[in-house]
Amino acid sequence: MSEKSKITYKDVVCPFCGTLCDDLEVDVNTKENIIIEVRNACQIGTRKFFSSNPSEHRYEVPLIKENGSFKEVSWDEAIEKTADILANAKRPLLYGFASTECDAQSKGVELAELLGGILDNTASVCHGPTLLAEQDVGVPTSTLGEYKNRADLVIFWGCNPVHAHPRHLGRYSEFVRGYFRTDGRNDRYIVVVDPRYTHTAQIADLYIKVNPNEDYELINALRAELRGVEIDEKEVAGVPREKIKELVNILKTCKFGVIFFGMGLTQSVSHHRNVDTAICLVRELNDHTKFLITPMRGHYNITGSNVVFTWNTGYGYSIDFSRGYPRYNPGEFSSVDCLIRDEIDASLIVASDPASNFPAAAVKKMFKHPLIVVEPHHTPTSVNADIILPAAFAGIETEGTAYRMDHVPLRLRKVKEPPGQCLTDREILEKLIEKVKEKKGEL
Amino acid sequence: MSLDNLILITGRTINQGIALEGGKTTKESVRAAGICAFDKDDFKKLDCMIGTPVKVMTEFGEVVVYSTISEEGPHPGIIFIPMGPWANQVVNPSSQSCGTPTFKGIKARVEVVKDGKVLDSVELISKLKEG
Repeated sequence: MSEKSKITYKDVVCPFCGTLCDDLEVDVNTKENIIIEVRNACQIGTRKFFSSNPSEHRYEVPLIKENGSFKEVSWDEAIEKTADILANAKRPLLYGFASTECDAQSKGVELAELLGGILDNTASVCHGPTLLAEQDVGVPTSTLGEYKNRADLVIFWGCNPVHAHPRHLGRYSEFVRGYFRTDGRNDRYIVVVDPRYTHTAQIADLYIKVNPNEDYELINALRAELRGVEIDEKEVAGVPREKIKELVNILKTCKFGVIFFGMGLTQSVSHHRNVDTAICLVRELNDHTKFLITPMRGHYNITGSNVVFTWNTGYGYSIDFSRGYPRYNPGEFSSVDCLIRDEIDASLIVASDPASNFPAAAVKKMFKHPLIVVEPHHTPTSVNADIILPAAFAGIETEGTAYRMDHVPLRLRKVKEPPGQCLTDREILEKLIEKVKEKKGEL
Repeated sequence: MSLDNLILITGRTINQGIALEGGKTTKESVRAAGICAFDKDDFKKLDCMIGTPVKVMTEFGEVVVYSTISEEGPHPGIIFIPMGPWANQVVNPSSQSCGTPTFKGIKARVEVVKDGKVLDSVELISKLKEG
């Protein structure tokens, strides 16, 4: 390959997790339109860039299932059939949106309103309870740069960034040198609270082993101890009384502390109540020192989908448009609950794989009705779909905006052209909006 | 052999994350997420080799996955299945009215099934369509 056909893009933003690393370097062979090298990304981010290259796993033309096998069709035919299904559905579900850019998310809101459907994003099955808790009690939080420069105590509660956010530790929270933390890891005290001795726990200064489903009890014991209440039990949630005292002392005496929390709080019993009480603990710690809390968001633009849905409708997820105006009620309008009650009669999935990520009981109901996916590559959802609309990878094959886990918006870059007939998520949703309007007589 | 009164936790692993990107329907994803990690001492009680298929059962379903010893132990009484199609056959779909199912902390039972077949993600999920 000649040097002329190789372009190196610098400061590329990684479209994988909520850490949204913005220092990637990507080499592209412009002649063959393929990624040839990715530098600075973690293993998962690197793999994501390479998976955009043409392969047997990549969809390049619209497909419609007929008699059990997929048939290649034109975009016009695929959009016509999709619009037909959605316009005729009584309660369509529009789900996903966490792995695409903000303009496409906004178009998703427009389409859901037009259809009078249910609109939901993947927060519904991950940090939805965090949003509920923040609505209940507020949240003292900050951008990741503040933690990098100031935090001398970092607590990872129910999260395992070594696996889920591999560069978080190096960029913001553990090993990185900051303005006031010039010696990096040596200037920080790391605590991990988890039922398993995770790889993150193995490199921490203190590991607290909490019983599964008992985070709520442990956090409240910490709050009690902080207020000077004598705990009369020998242990709470599997943690000895002495260790609780030791931890509270560490929390009170730091200069600047932060709790990063993950699915350990949101997906175990008590859900948003765990997060509620964790936020209250942080609020009370501010009587003694500076303390903040930040959720470890998973998909790279899940924060963006909450933001975009909120500025369009007033609500971050689990939104129902059936009355013509947005209503919000997780548990009632959330995807998994709607599916399990068998209310949904057609699903449009954008940049997500609910067949892999929803409990089996919900997937069964989803498969009973027409299923359309906007998806770049093969997933258990797409292979069971009725229509596949091939999409470009946002952040690799199209630009856009994404929100980091601390609500900092970053501009995604386009480094290569999408293969075949792939369109961007935004273009596909625009075509659908136009066609649905036509069918509903609004054009 | 079997083990009762276990607690199932599901979650992200880096191998499962890598397999997500372009490999969701491949054998790579089975190796990454079609597994159940045991505490070392719990695994001894199963009296089988690493990689032997085991059936994980909860009140919400059952699934056959490959057994392995956890690198993130000790965690006696706790088993771990990476998030994904296999874990989701046995998790608690109840969201307790908050929208998010209970993916962690589910009572489980495990049984060694030496001749058990671990399905790939498409076989496993497509069964839900037929059923």
